[in-house]
Amino acid sequence: MPTFYLDDEPIEFEEGETIIKAALRHGKDVPRYCYHPALTVVAQCRMCLVDVTDMGNGRPAPKLFTSCSTPAMPGMKVSLQTDKVKEGQNIISELTLVNHPLDCPICDQSGECDLQDYAFQYGTGHSEMTHEKRTYGWRDVGTYIMLERNRCIHCSRCERYSKEVEGAHDFGVFLRSHETTFDTFEDHRITHKFQGNLVDLCPVGAITEREFRFKKRAWKLTRTPSVCASCATGCNITVDHESNRVERLKPRENQAVNRWWMCDDGRIGYRQLNDREHRALEPQARVKGELIPANWETIQLAVITRLEEISARGDQVVGLADTTATNEELFLFKKMLVDCFGAKTYSPAHPQQAAPTGHFLNDLISPDKTPNSAGAKALGLGMDLKNDGVRKALEKSPKVVFVLGNPWSENSQLLALAAKADFVCHIATFSSPWVQITDVVLPGATFAEKAGTYTNKHGRVQRIFPAVNPPEDCRDQTRILLDLMRGLGISTEFNTPVQVLNGLGSQEAAFKGLTWDTVGTSGQPLAGIKA
Amino acid sequence: MLQETPILTKNIRSPGYDGSLEAYQKAGGHKALEKALKSMTPETVIEAVKESGLRGRGGAGFPTGMKWGFMPKNTGRPSYLVCNADEAEPGTFKDHFLINRDPHLFLEGLIIGSYAIGCHHAYVYIRGRSQAPAARLQTAIDNLYKAKLLGKAILGTGFDLDITIHRGAGAYICGEETALLESLEGKRGQPRVKPPFPATHGFNACPTSVNNVESLANVPIILNMGPDAFKKLGSTNNSGTRLVGISGHIKNPGIYEVEMGANLKSIIYDLGGGMRDGKQIKVVIPGGTSSNPLKPEEIDIAYDFDAVAKAGSMLGTCSLIVLDEDTDIVDLAYRTIVFFNHESCGQCTPCREGTFWLKNLVRDFHDNLGDQGKIDRIRRVAATMFGTSLCALGDAAAGPMKAFVEKYPEEFRKHFI
Repeated sequence: MPTFYLDDEPIEFEEGETIIKAALRHGKDVPRYCYHPALTVVAQCRMCLVDVTDMGNGRPAPKLFTSCSTPAMPGMKVSLQTDKVKEGQNIISELTLVNHPLDCPICDQSGECDLQDYAFQYGTGHSEMTHEKRTYGWRDVGTYIMLERNRCIHCSRCERYSKEVEGAHDFGVFLRSHETTFDTFEDHRITHKFQGNLVDLCPVGAITEREFRFKKRAWKLTRTPSVCASCATGCNITVDHESNRVERLKPRENQAVNRWWMCDDGRIGYRQLNDREHRALEPQARVKGELIPANWETIQLAVITRLEEISARGDQVVGLADTTATNEELFLFKKMLVDCFGAKTYSPAHPQQAAPTGHFLNDLISPDKTPNSAGAKALGLGMDLKNDGVRKALEKSPKVVFVLGNPWSENSQLLALAAKADFVCHIATFSSPWVQITDVVLPGATFAEKAGTYTNKHGRVQRIFPAVNPPEDCRDQTRILLDLMRGLGISTEFNTPVQVLNGLGSQEAAFKGLTWDTVGTSGQPLAGIKA
Repeated sequence: MLQETPILTKNIRSPGYDGSLEAYQKAGGHKALEKALKSMTPETVIEAVKESGLRGRGGAGFPTGMKWGFMPKNTGRPSYLVCNADEAEPGTFKDHFLINRDPHLFLEGLIIGSYAIGCHHAYVYIRGRSQAPAARLQTAIDNLYKAKLLGKAILGTGFDLDITIHRGAGAYICGEETALLESLEGKRGQPRVKPPFPATHGFNACPTSVNNVESLANVPIILNMGPDAFKKLGSTNNSGTRLVGISGHIKNPGIYEVEMGANLKSIIYDLGGGMRDGKQIKVVIPGGTSSNPLKPEEIDIAYDFDAVAKAGSMLGTCSLIVLDEDTDIVDLAYRTIVFFNHESCGQCTPCREGTFWLKNLVRDFHDNLGDQGKIDRIRRVAATMFGTSLCALGDAAAGPMKAFVEKYPEEFRKHFI
């Protein structure tokens, strides 16, 4: 591989690669506003200036070059440290701020703003601009985003995104000179589901999220890596939270899944994580037809006692699990039903992904709105689209029904069949029509409150991490299941979801070779599936 | 006493010449075209232009033959010749003069140039406001089609060429070649990132050469008189003649054709007739508003690319703006920066914000609100804009501002609070 030198450090590059691309790949920080790997290079912001002291032919460059538009050459010597380049960065920082309102105290971007960071790092710290600044009027441009054009630094990322990635051509460039503005057409309001990406792309606070407006200071948020649970695509995200409250979900780069993007439906998924109204918040047991709160110890004991009383086996026990559960939970659930009762577990099948449209963003939204159908399938749960298997199982009048999550909660026919059972034990995160018929509710955790893995629609296993604590009386489903199993007299070496996954490989062929560490930050495909 | 050297303007200066096809051919036109198409290969045409040392007349002075030589051959994509007839630089009026008075000379050059680079569809980019030249050019092109000098099999050879006139919407920046190409493609006229250069990825991402009207008009002359004879005109490295458009407080403003390297002072006094009402010169802008102003004591120089550059300015489009002692330099600077601020495309930071800031600073002097700090600030902002912008417009706006405050500080001091 050919090599160039960035401040005397050798950097390998591919033929035709630009300086900034190679430098960023090697973990170097080059200040930039308009450059984004997903978008075409326009070299407009001029922030990524480098001093080319040797163009590879022994001669220095006549002036500062923008590293985003300059291809690297073998033997080239590039510096980000010389006085010349520092002066250049200084000047660009100052000029970028000439018309910027500096309203950081009321700006949502503050704390994660490239302009702020680079102005501190490369700017002079003062400005001699004393004239009246250019101002624009406010315009309502989209259902999910807010546009504050006074903060715009004209990097044109929004325009290029809407042209090159989204393809809707929402944003255009209007007027010229210092009055240049990036805006939508007069009668156009953006309504599509990929507006949030504009917020992530905008290096300043010109485009911000309506959902996040004036809510939190960005620097106070803790970011926990996770996977979006709003559909089967499994976009990589971070769960941004503060004080045990999830404030927003942001995409995390994963070239194999979602690249840099996610849809607005996924972003809005944060609301459910803070929802307490529809949440199962405490263990409950049905006494004389009424569900009443109980503590965990009592209820676990009651469940075990009741199960021993009924002592049902085989077809008399049915497990129903929905596909919002993680691979580990589904595995434990299935294991519990097989080992304790010799019974079978069923999961609802979801509409399969239609043929890819070729539009990368549209293909991110899967018709299957649960995150782990592929995992349930890989674990060999009985999946049936027409619900024949589960109906037949329930028509055999089982005595015990175990429910994990809220499978078939809209199907009143199946619910009516299940209601005939002597004992319905429900491990629930959110309340649903199941609450009407369950005998015991064991409150579980959302995907932001536990560790585990989901398998996305392409068979890629990806990790989630606990970001916030579950409400006081809610528990990680893995723990609930392990406690039940122990109570039922099955010894298990597992304690945590991580241990379950590490042990999964030896028991389930599809998970062979997958451990918590090999899955890593960007996920791994199931055995037998091409990356 | 400096005299005109009518080479390009030979026909125009002859009495009764009306620029029609008949008149042009009667005066010996299209000989070079016939010679090129029938007895020369494209390579030898390029070689002859290279040999002549013809430098582009659009302002940058890049050798035309070399530009054509850079065009890749056999790319499988069409090549294009685009003529830049936008003539947007304030003070410049030579190209439309040529098109109005002798369109066939320039069109002959355009056909020969197309032949040289293998272009079968040439474009002339002319500003929409220039209605008369555009109409004149269209008539001339129509007549060439009628005379079978355009279209299929020109002069019975296998060479086909169509010429289309494209009327721009009048942005200064569309005189910059990549912005011109964007505009020609129907997009917003703003400069592209280079590389890739138009020679490889120009109009519709095909190999393209963008040439000025006057450069192309010189091509038939080179082929007619031979590159060596052409090279004898003008000074070293600056062969040929230039159309100098003199404007300002001058007795005889107009277009004059002189050999490159003629004395600048002689051009002003001998051809321009000196200043009106016997006034003194205060400032000479040698190549359009984007060139740095020269003081009267700096104008005793050869008027060619190298000597003017050595004097700290730029030959540019050879549009001499000569202003007399009554001129308020602050007023001049303000008018200039207002123009550049208005014409900045707004794409890159230094130009968009820099011209805005400079305009405000110079305006303070214009409003008698100046102080020494603001003079220093103009110098600093202008100096910093220089060399960091995406295209040459940032440099063009910054250079003169810096030069004005450095060369005429006393004029700015007059406008202190």
